[in-house]
Amino acid sequence: MATNKKRISRRRFLVRGGLGTIGILAVGTYLFRSNIRRGLAGIANTADTPFMGNTKTPIIWFEVTKNNDLILHSPKVEMGQGTFTSLAQMAADELEVSMEQMRVVHANSSSGNIDSFATGGSTSVSALWVPLRELAATMREMIKTEAAKKMKASVTDLEISNGIVTAGSASMTYADIVQGVDDWDIPDTPPLKELKDYKFIGKPIPRVDLKDKVFGAPLFGMDASMPGMLYGAVVRPSTIGATFLGADTTKAEQMPGVVKIIKETDFVGVVANSQIEAENAKKKIKAHWKADKNWQTADIEELIAVGKGEAFVIQKEGGPNDFLEDATGLIQSEFKSPIGAHAQLEPNGALAFVEENKATIYMSTQVVSITRDEIADRLGFDNEQVNIVPTFLGGGFGRRLHTPNGIQAAVMSKAVGKPVKCFFTRKEEFQNDTFRPPTHHILKATLAENGLIEAIEHNVSSGDVAFGSPMVPSIAEPILGADLGAWRGGMIQYGAIPNYQAISWRVKLPFATSWWRSLGLLANTFAIESFIDELAVKAKKDPVEFRLAQIQDDDRGHRLKEVIKAAAKKAGWTNKVINERAMGFAASTDANTPCAQVVEVSIVDKEIKVHKVTCAMDPGIAVNPDQVRAQCEGAIIMGMSASMHEQMFVEDGQLQPTIYGPYQMALMKHAPKEIDVVLLQNSDVPGAVGEPPLGPIAAAVANAVFKLTGQRLREMPLKLA
Amino acid sequence: MKKRKNRYAFYLVLAVGFFVVANYGRYNTLEYIPISVTEATNTDTSFDKMMRVLTHERCVNCHPNDNIPKQGDNSHPHYFGMARGKTNMGFDATKCNTCHQSENDAYSGVPGAPEWSLAPAAMYWEGLTRIEIAESILDPKRNGGRTSEETMHHLTEHELVLWAWDPGVDANGVLREKPPVSKEDYIKAVKQWFAEGHRIPSE
Amino acid sequence: MTISLIVNGAPQTVEITDGNTPLLWVVRDLLNLKGTKFGCGKAACGACTLHVDGEAIRSCSYPIKLAEGKTITTIEGLGNEQDPHPVQQAWIEEIVPQCGYCQPGFMMATAALLNIIPEPTDADIDQNIINVCRCATYYRMRKAIHRAAAIQKETTAKTKE
Repeated sequence: MATNKKRISRRRFLVRGGLGTIGILAVGTYLFRSNIRRGLAGIANTADTPFMGNTKTPIIWFEVTKNNDLILHSPKVEMGQGTFTSLAQMAADELEVSMEQMRVVHANSSSGNIDSFATGGSTSVSALWVPLRELAATMREMIKTEAAKKMKASVTDLEISNGIVTAGSASMTYADIVQGVDDWDIPDTPPLKELKDYKFIGKPIPRVDLKDKVFGAPLFGMDASMPGMLYGAVVRPSTIGATFLGADTTKAEQMPGVVKIIKETDFVGVVANSQIEAENAKKKIKAHWKADKNWQTADIEELIAVGKGEAFVIQKEGGPNDFLEDATGLIQSEFKSPIGAHAQLEPNGALAFVEENKATIYMSTQVVSITRDEIADRLGFDNEQVNIVPTFLGGGFGRRLHTPNGIQAAVMSKAVGKPVKCFFTRKEEFQNDTFRPPTHHILKATLAENGLIEAIEHNVSSGDVAFGSPMVPSIAEPILGADLGAWRGGMIQYGAIPNYQAISWRVKLPFATSWWRSLGLLANTFAIESFIDELAVKAKKDPVEFRLAQIQDDDRGHRLKEVIKAAAKKAGWTNKVINERAMGFAASTDANTPCAQVVEVSIVDKEIKVHKVTCAMDPGIAVNPDQVRAQCEGAIIMGMSASMHEQMFVEDGQLQPTIYGPYQMALMKHAPKEIDVVLLQNSDVPGAVGEPPLGPIAAAVANAVFKLTGQRLREMPLKLA
Repeated sequence: MKKRKNRYAFYLVLAVGFFVVANYGRYNTLEYIPISVTEATNTDTSFDKMMRVLTHERCVNCHPNDNIPKQGDNSHPHYFGMARGKTNMGFDATKCNTCHQSENDAYSGVPGAPEWSLAPAAMYWEGLTRIEIAESILDPKRNGGRTSEETMHHLTEHELVLWAWDPGVDANGVLREKPPVSKEDYIKAVKQWFAEGHRIPSE
Repeated sequence: MTISLIVNGAPQTVEITDGNTPLLWVVRDLLNLKGTKFGCGKAACGACTLHVDGEAIRSCSYPIKLAEGKTITTIEGLGNEQDPHPVQQAWIEEIVPQCGYCQPGFMMATAALLNIIPEPTDADIDQNIINVCRCATYYRMRKAIHRAAAIQKETTAKTKE
């Protein structure tokens, strides 16, 4: 890939004992990009994010253990998406070790190997595709060079397999080779192997965290513990826009097990000897809040409306306005989506231990470096004094991009001088979530005489997704105008239509809204792909043919066409209703990954029943096809859950409901019994996987329901009249 | 914006005014004053008192006319698709007792009492009038083959029945509403009604 | 208050002031078995499911005082890498977990189901397995439950031989 000779700079090589580790190979910064604008523009255009490494030293990528295992310190966190496994495959292939020898851990912030951006946006594997393999290949060559010295052989005579270097009849393990070496030669970056030569990349390798997760290992932030640990509880507001004024804690102080009441200007909390004691004492705290308005769902619906707020044209081709303004034959439709909660199973929390000169925080976070910086800032520490130890995440989905919980745990630990663990109750999770904003869409189109679309326009009104997040610098707002998260999936993907445009209407909501797996994709695709289906019906055309006829002839168009054809073929697409079952179709392109889905739906007991989903997706290289499938299966059912069941309301200033059950979600009984995933590879790099398959499902279901019942469902959650 | 608010306020005044005029014949005052329990019971017959308990959702929620237990003051279907199962105790492995224990749990707000279960299907009360409920509890085919003496004891002594006066707190830590007659008055009323020949008024 | 119980085969004695403390926190914080998860604390999500005397119980709504003399099994006691329970074996073979947080609860609920219905139908699964999984791994879970039933049948047959 690289035309220029490049060399990975060595930061430090460490020898550390006592932890079963004999050497830490620390190779330098990779692809550090300081130009945030360039990064942002990349994100905005394609949702591609470069790997944004960190220049702080030392940066540790790999360790060799005494047992000759390789530990990869991952700068990306594992939240279920399978990144650890893909990274292990990539590293193992270039390092010439077996999968059994590969271990993956989260890089601590003190190891330096953390991403200054985040884990999210379906970019972990794609961003590390080249850097990680080059680092691994470099390390392999370094070991080979050292092996040649120790074995008194020529580098070219060496053979490597499973972390053992052989020269003739002699052999040495990596562990033997790295032992005692403190001066390493860093070679030019070696050429990477060809795809066909990889043993693990492209294979359905079982997840590296599979057994730990099946046998109940303490992997998660909630599972972290330290000797002498105390338990904290923070009072959180239940009302939208509530400002903390103060608290009466007299009763709480008298409660059993209370160690200390923590009164800060922005929150009040209690530290106690046990979880239950902390919770009981917290209930006795009378916190005073001030909220300006008693918000209701109707207020929010009034805010979220196309035509209100600031408008930004995010896509324009041809002269759509010439056709869509007062045109005869104008077809217009409206769609809506509700407020969505993350509802990840592991509540947010943290275990913090703040000592005189340093702080250690164990927690689930998608933004390790931001979490660190924020905590350091609050404690008055330098960033280097704060070590964030990321744990496995009990679900991410964007919920762990804002991490004030880390600060609160740290503040409480500092106050008592002991480790303090503190986490959200479920009610607090629901009321203090950073929600998927509700949306309102108006679509307009005219059809040409040949029945194809002459002009089309998509208007989306949404609360912010990306703006206001600590990940997106404030400079992004004036540069981009429209919220790049809100319009994700909101552009017209049928480039052969002569006139089209997409307009994003930005609305500020009174509660926090943010990233929710796939951002705007779910709602935008629901609106656009339902509308496309309506147009196909109007044009009396088969919806699959109708789509294929309006896709441009370029690489992106080709990949989209291919997934559409593949899904239709695999599903045995028919536009007829057979045995009271109908098929519904939809397609989307997200972060350069096209995805098409066909659903088979019937109406059972007046409810929509999804029997089968066929999903064709082209993520480029699937480093681990099994986990790509798993992501498709999960995204499809999560998308069904969000589009057929879930909905948050605003009642008397509070976000409701606050518990699973009343917050209805898809359960086992709602999941399709058949999910058929077809993977295409019309791109030679790995692309986005975790979010794209969330796109088509809602529209596909709604389109099938229309075919069955004649009801065009225009609002999520999809319910029959 | 401010203008619009004022207009709403105007409509509100209009609407309230209309309501007052339209309902003048039925209410003397604009405000509805709930009748307190003690006042009401003074004029109640023992049948009235008993039935005001038996028709309360604390009781009816577990005497459904389908196989689905109801929850809460609005008697919504039990979440997660929980249902009667073969033995009125839930499904084979995920039973009522998977979550509900022999007593209320204050931390989770999950209610509990000994033998937490649905009343058998034949004993459904949901949707019945109080006359029909009375007929049901006296009908051995529908009351589990009990004599009236046994029914009287069941209604006044069974722990799951008496749970209605100790319903605990809900998931938000808020006390559940109790039936609108005190336990003592209810027990007295039931005993009196049976002692007086358990006559069902014609209404 | 002193509570004596058996946890994963080992007798345990727990000293606790508040007898209403949920079994969940005793298992997690006093006995340091973190496999049983806190998800909602309201018996709604099922992440805290373990076995009390062989039956599925949501431990967040189960006061410790009721556990006196009872036999508790958590995910750590269900099986281990050397000797996995059929449910765990099936979960591995079907590569079920994604984030993994809810999985112990699902596996415990499934193990309880197989104790009572060795070969559950899809309808049995739909009725009895009502925990919440946000990664929505339900599709593979269903396959794994059927597979676990098959493994269990095979193992039972072998033991009888």
